[in-house]
Amino acid sequence: MATTTATVSISSSDLQPGNNLSINASSTLMKTGLTTGMELMDMGLGHLTQASGRDALHEALGTTDSANWVYICNNSTDDQQYMKIGIHETVIGNLGAGEWLWMPWNMGDVDAELNIEAEPSGTIPYEYAIFKSAPYTLPVSTPA
Amino acid sequence: MALEPTLTINDTTTFSDAISFSVTDSLTAAAPAQALSLVNATATGAASIIVPASTAIAYLFVRHTGTTDGSTGTAQLVDVEFTTNEAVARLGAGEWLFMPIFHAGEDVGVQLQVAHASIVQCEYAYWTKG
Repeated sequence: MATTTATVSISSSDLQPGNNLSINASSTLMKTGLTTGMELMDMGLGHLTQASGRDALHEALGTTDSANWVYICNNSTDDQQYMKIGIHETVIGNLGAGEWLWMPWNMGDVDAELNIEAEPSGTIPYEYAIFKSAPYTLPVSTPA
Repeated sequence: MALEPTLTINDTTTFSDAISFSVTDSLTAAAPAQALSLVNATATGAASIIVPASTAIAYLFVRHTGTTDGSTGTAQLVDVEFTTNEAVARLGAGEWLFMPIFHAGEDVGVQLQVAHASIVQCEYAYWTKG
Protein backbone atom coordinates (compact mmCIF):
# COMPACT_ATOMS: atom_id res chain seq x y z
CA MET A 1 0.00 0.00 0.00
CA ALA A 2 1.22 3.43 -0.85
CA THR A 3 2.03 5.35 2.28
CA THR A 4 3.47 8.82 2.03
CA THR A 5 4.25 10.57 5.27
CA ALA A 6 4.76 14.31 5.73
CA THR A 7 6.39 15.56 8.89
CA VAL A 8 7.07 19.08 10.05
CA SER A 9 9.18 20.29 12.91
CA ILE A 10 9.28 23.95 13.86
CA SER A 11 11.85 24.98 16.41
CA SER A 12 13.25 28.09 17.98
CA SER A 13 15.52 28.77 20.91
CA ASP A 14 14.69 32.43 21.37
CA LEU A 15 11.01 32.93 20.55
CA GLN A 16 9.65 31.91 23.92
CA PRO A 17 11.45 33.08 27.07
CA GLY A 18 12.69 30.15 29.11
CA ASN A 19 11.15 27.61 26.79
CA ASN A 20 12.50 26.27 23.52
CA LEU A 21 9.83 26.06 20.84
CA SER A 22 9.55 22.56 19.41
CA ILE A 23 6.49 21.75 17.32
CA ASN A 24 6.29 18.36 15.64
CA ALA A 25 3.45 17.04 13.50
CA SER A 26 3.17 14.16 11.10
CA SER A 27 0.43 12.92 8.82
CA THR A 28 -0.11 10.26 6.20
CA LEU A 29 -1.35 11.56 2.87
CA MET A 30 -4.85 10.34 2.15
CA LYS A 31 -6.75 10.10 -1.08
CA THR A 32 -10.15 11.67 -1.36
CA GLY A 33 -12.45 9.65 0.84
CA LEU A 34 -9.69 9.02 3.38
CA THR A 35 -8.16 6.06 1.56
CA THR A 36 -4.46 5.76 2.23
CA GLY A 37 -2.22 6.00 -0.77
CA MET A 38 -1.40 8.90 -3.06
CA GLU A 39 -0.25 7.27 -6.27
CA LEU A 40 0.50 10.18 -8.59
CA MET A 41 3.32 12.60 -8.13
CA ASP A 42 4.69 15.51 -10.11
CA MET A 43 8.09 16.66 -8.98
CA GLY A 44 10.60 18.94 -10.56
CA LEU A 45 12.82 21.95 -10.73
CA GLY A 46 12.09 25.10 -12.63
CA HIS A 47 13.20 28.64 -13.30
CA LEU A 48 10.63 31.36 -13.02
CA THR A 49 11.23 34.71 -14.67
CA GLN A 50 9.61 37.91 -13.58
CA ALA A 51 9.03 38.80 -17.21
CA SER A 52 6.81 35.78 -17.76
CA GLY A 53 4.24 37.09 -15.27
CA ARG A 54 1.92 34.66 -13.55
CA ASP A 55 2.35 31.03 -14.60
CA ALA A 56 0.18 28.03 -13.79
CA LEU A 57 2.23 25.46 -11.91
CA HIS A 58 -0.63 23.01 -12.29
CA GLU A 59 -4.09 23.22 -13.78
CA ALA A 60 -7.12 22.18 -11.78
CA LEU A 61 -9.20 19.21 -12.87
CA GLY A 62 -12.42 21.13 -12.48
CA THR A 63 -14.40 18.00 -11.83
CA THR A 64 -14.88 16.44 -8.42
CA ASP A 65 -13.12 17.57 -5.28
CA SER A 66 -9.88 15.73 -4.71
CA ALA A 67 -7.16 15.57 -2.10
CA ASN A 68 -3.78 16.80 -3.29
CA TRP A 69 -0.68 18.07 -1.50
CA VAL A 70 1.70 20.73 -2.68
CA TYR A 71 5.32 21.46 -1.77
CA ILE A 72 6.97 24.53 -3.27
CA CYS A 73 10.38 25.92 -2.34
CA ASN A 74 11.96 29.15 -3.53
CA ASN A 75 15.59 28.23 -4.10
CA SER A 76 16.78 31.76 -4.75
CA THR A 77 19.72 32.99 -2.70
CA ASP A 78 18.83 36.63 -3.35
CA ASP A 79 16.80 37.80 -0.36
CA GLN A 80 15.12 40.43 -2.50
CA GLN A 81 13.48 37.80 -4.69
CA TYR A 82 10.20 36.22 -3.73
CA MET A 83 7.51 34.05 -5.30
CA LYS A 84 3.85 34.92 -5.20
CA ILE A 85 1.69 31.82 -4.82
CA GLY A 86 -1.93 31.96 -5.90
CA ILE A 87 -5.03 29.93 -6.53
CA HIS A 88 -6.65 31.40 -9.63
CA GLU A 89 -7.13 35.11 -8.89
CA THR A 90 -6.36 34.91 -5.17
CA VAL A 91 -2.83 35.43 -3.89
CA ILE A 92 -2.45 33.14 -0.90
CA GLY A 93 1.24 33.15 -0.08
CA ASN A 94 4.60 34.77 -0.48
CA LEU A 95 7.74 32.63 -0.51
CA GLY A 96 10.96 34.47 0.25
CA ALA A 97 14.38 33.17 -0.73
CA GLY A 98 14.89 29.71 0.76
CA GLU A 99 11.33 29.47 2.08
CA TRP A 100 8.98 26.55 1.45
CA LEU A 101 5.32 25.71 1.93
CA TRP A 102 3.34 22.52 2.39
CA MET A 103 -0.40 22.67 1.98
CA PRO A 104 -3.39 20.74 0.67
CA TRP A 105 -4.88 21.81 -2.64
CA ASN A 106 -8.35 21.02 -3.86
CA MET A 107 -8.71 20.77 -7.64
CA GLY A 108 -12.49 20.61 -7.64
CA ASP A 109 -13.16 24.02 -9.13
CA VAL A 110 -12.02 24.63 -12.68
CA ASP A 111 -10.99 28.11 -11.49
CA ALA A 112 -8.56 26.69 -8.97
CA GLU A 113 -5.30 26.43 -10.86
CA LEU A 114 -2.15 26.86 -8.83
CA ASN A 115 -0.16 29.94 -9.86
CA ILE A 116 3.39 31.05 -9.22
CA GLU A 117 5.00 34.36 -10.08
CA ALA A 118 8.53 35.72 -9.65
CA GLU A 119 9.03 39.14 -8.12
CA PRO A 120 10.40 41.77 -8.31
CA SER A 121 12.86 40.98 -11.09
CA GLY A 122 15.19 38.38 -12.56
CA THR A 123 14.92 34.60 -12.51
CA ILE A 124 14.08 32.45 -9.50
CA PRO A 125 15.01 28.77 -9.30
CA TYR A 126 12.36 26.74 -7.53
CA GLU A 127 11.44 23.15 -6.82
CA TYR A 128 8.07 21.58 -6.29
CA ALA A 129 6.23 18.35 -5.68
CA ILE A 130 2.52 17.70 -6.06
CA PHE A 131 1.05 14.50 -4.66
CA LYS A 132 -2.28 13.77 -6.31
CA SER A 133 -5.17 11.45 -5.65
CA ALA A 134 -7.23 11.99 -8.78
CA PRO A 135 -6.12 10.36 -11.99
CA TYR A 136 -5.94 12.25 -15.22
CA THR A 137 -8.12 11.31 -18.13
CA LEU A 138 -5.92 10.83 -21.14
CA PRO A 139 -6.86 12.97 -24.14
CA VAL A 140 -8.31 11.27 -27.19
CA SER A 141 -5.69 10.40 -29.75
CA THR A 142 -6.21 12.13 -33.06
CA PRO A 143 -4.81 10.09 -35.95
CA ALA A 144 -2.46 12.02 -38.22
CA MET B 1 14.12 35.84 16.61
CA ALA B 2 14.88 32.74 14.59
CA LEU B 3 12.38 30.13 13.55
CA GLU B 4 13.52 26.90 11.92
CA PRO B 5 10.88 24.87 10.07
CA THR B 6 11.80 21.51 8.56
CA LEU B 7 9.65 19.46 6.20
CA THR B 8 10.35 15.77 5.68
CA ILE B 9 8.56 13.61 3.12
CA ASN B 10 9.02 9.85 3.18
CA ASP B 11 7.54 7.07 1.12
CA THR B 12 9.10 3.65 0.72
CA THR B 13 6.10 1.75 -0.58
CA THR B 14 4.49 3.56 -3.53
CA PHE B 15 7.21 3.49 -6.15
CA SER B 16 10.18 1.28 -6.83
CA ASP B 17 12.34 4.28 -5.98
CA ALA B 18 11.79 5.53 -2.44
CA ILE B 19 10.87 9.15 -1.83
CA SER B 20 12.88 10.73 0.92
CA PHE B 21 13.60 14.38 1.13
CA SER B 22 13.93 17.03 3.74
CA VAL B 23 14.08 20.80 3.51
CA THR B 24 14.73 23.30 6.23
CA ASP B 25 15.08 27.04 6.50
CA SER B 26 16.00 29.66 9.04
CA LEU B 27 13.35 32.36 9.23
CA THR B 28 13.33 35.67 11.02
CA ALA B 29 10.14 36.07 13.03
CA ALA B 30 8.73 39.19 14.65
CA ALA B 31 5.69 40.35 16.57
CA PRO B 32 2.81 39.97 16.46
CA ALA B 33 2.88 36.22 16.95
CA GLN B 34 0.72 33.57 18.55
CA ALA B 35 2.23 30.63 20.40
CA LEU B 36 0.83 27.16 19.79
CA SER B 37 -2.86 27.37 20.69
CA LEU B 38 -6.11 25.48 20.36
CA VAL B 39 -9.29 26.79 18.77
CA ASN B 40 -12.69 25.19 18.23
CA ALA B 41 -13.61 25.90 14.63
CA THR B 42 -17.31 26.04 13.78
CA ALA B 43 -19.45 26.80 10.76
CA THR B 44 -19.01 30.49 11.54
CA GLY B 45 -15.59 31.49 10.27
CA ALA B 46 -15.65 34.88 11.95
CA ALA B 47 -15.77 33.10 15.31
CA SER B 48 -12.40 31.42 14.69
CA ILE B 49 -10.04 34.12 13.45
CA ILE B 50 -6.54 32.77 14.03
CA VAL B 51 -4.52 35.55 12.39
CA PRO B 52 -5.83 39.09 12.90
CA ALA B 53 -6.15 41.45 9.96
CA SER B 54 -2.77 42.60 8.72
CA THR B 55 -0.94 43.46 5.54
CA ALA B 56 2.12 41.50 6.68
CA ILE B 57 3.30 38.00 5.76
CA ALA B 58 2.65 35.45 8.51
CA TYR B 59 4.29 32.04 8.88
CA LEU B 60 1.23 29.96 9.68
CA PHE B 61 0.96 26.45 11.11
CA VAL B 62 -2.49 24.83 11.38
CA ARG B 63 -3.30 21.24 12.34
CA HIS B 64 -6.69 19.53 12.39
CA THR B 65 -6.63 17.51 15.63
CA GLY B 66 -9.19 15.00 14.35
CA THR B 67 -11.36 15.70 17.37
CA THR B 68 -14.12 18.02 18.49
CA ASP B 69 -12.76 18.47 21.99
CA GLY B 70 -9.44 16.68 22.27
CA SER B 71 -10.99 13.22 22.64
CA THR B 72 -14.15 12.80 20.53
CA GLY B 73 -13.19 11.94 16.98
CA THR B 74 -14.45 13.80 13.93
CA ALA B 75 -13.77 13.60 10.22
CA GLN B 76 -15.34 16.95 9.40
CA LEU B 77 -13.20 19.08 7.10
CA VAL B 78 -11.90 22.49 8.09
CA ASP B 79 -11.36 25.33 5.64
CA VAL B 80 -8.46 27.71 6.11
CA GLU B 81 -9.59 30.95 4.53
CA PHE B 82 -9.03 34.66 4.52
CA THR B 83 -11.50 36.74 6.51
CA THR B 84 -12.79 37.83 3.11
CA ASN B 85 -14.02 34.21 2.78
CA GLU B 86 -11.54 33.38 0.02
CA ALA B 87 -10.42 29.77 0.45
CA VAL B 88 -6.78 28.86 0.92
CA ALA B 89 -6.87 25.17 1.86
CA ARG B 90 -9.04 22.41 3.30
CA LEU B 91 -7.71 20.17 6.08
CA GLY B 92 -8.92 16.68 6.97
CA ALA B 93 -8.48 14.89 10.28
CA GLY B 94 -4.86 14.86 11.37
CA GLU B 95 -3.67 16.99 8.47
CA TRP B 96 -1.58 20.11 8.82
CA LEU B 97 -0.12 22.93 6.75
CA PHE B 98 2.75 25.34 7.08
CA MET B 99 3.04 28.32 4.78
CA PRO B 100 3.94 31.99 4.60
CA ILE B 101 0.39 33.22 4.17
CA PHE B 102 -0.17 36.55 2.47
CA HIS B 103 -3.04 38.15 0.61
CA ALA B 104 -1.27 40.54 -1.76
CA GLY B 105 -0.82 43.18 0.91
CA GLU B 106 -4.52 43.46 1.68
CA ASP B 107 -5.46 44.13 5.28
CA VAL B 108 -7.15 40.79 5.97
CA GLY B 109 -6.90 38.02 8.53
CA VAL B 110 -7.14 34.24 8.46
CA GLN B 111 -10.00 32.19 9.87
CA LEU B 112 -11.06 28.56 10.18
CA GLN B 113 -14.48 27.34 9.15
CA VAL B 114 -16.11 23.93 9.24
CA ALA B 115 -18.22 23.11 6.21
CA HIS B 116 -21.09 21.70 8.28
CA ALA B 117 -22.68 22.55 11.59
CA SER B 118 -20.03 20.88 13.65
CA ILE B 119 -17.03 21.63 15.83
CA VAL B 120 -13.44 20.75 15.01
CA GLN B 121 -10.62 21.43 17.40
CA CYS B 122 -7.56 22.77 15.63
CA GLU B 123 -4.06 23.61 16.75
CA TYR B 124 -2.38 26.68 15.31
CA ALA B 125 0.45 29.15 15.67
CA TYR B 126 1.69 32.05 13.60
CA TRP B 127 4.68 34.36 13.50
CA THR B 128 4.91 37.58 11.52
CA LYS B 129 7.75 37.65 9.02
CA GLY B 130 10.54 39.87 10.35
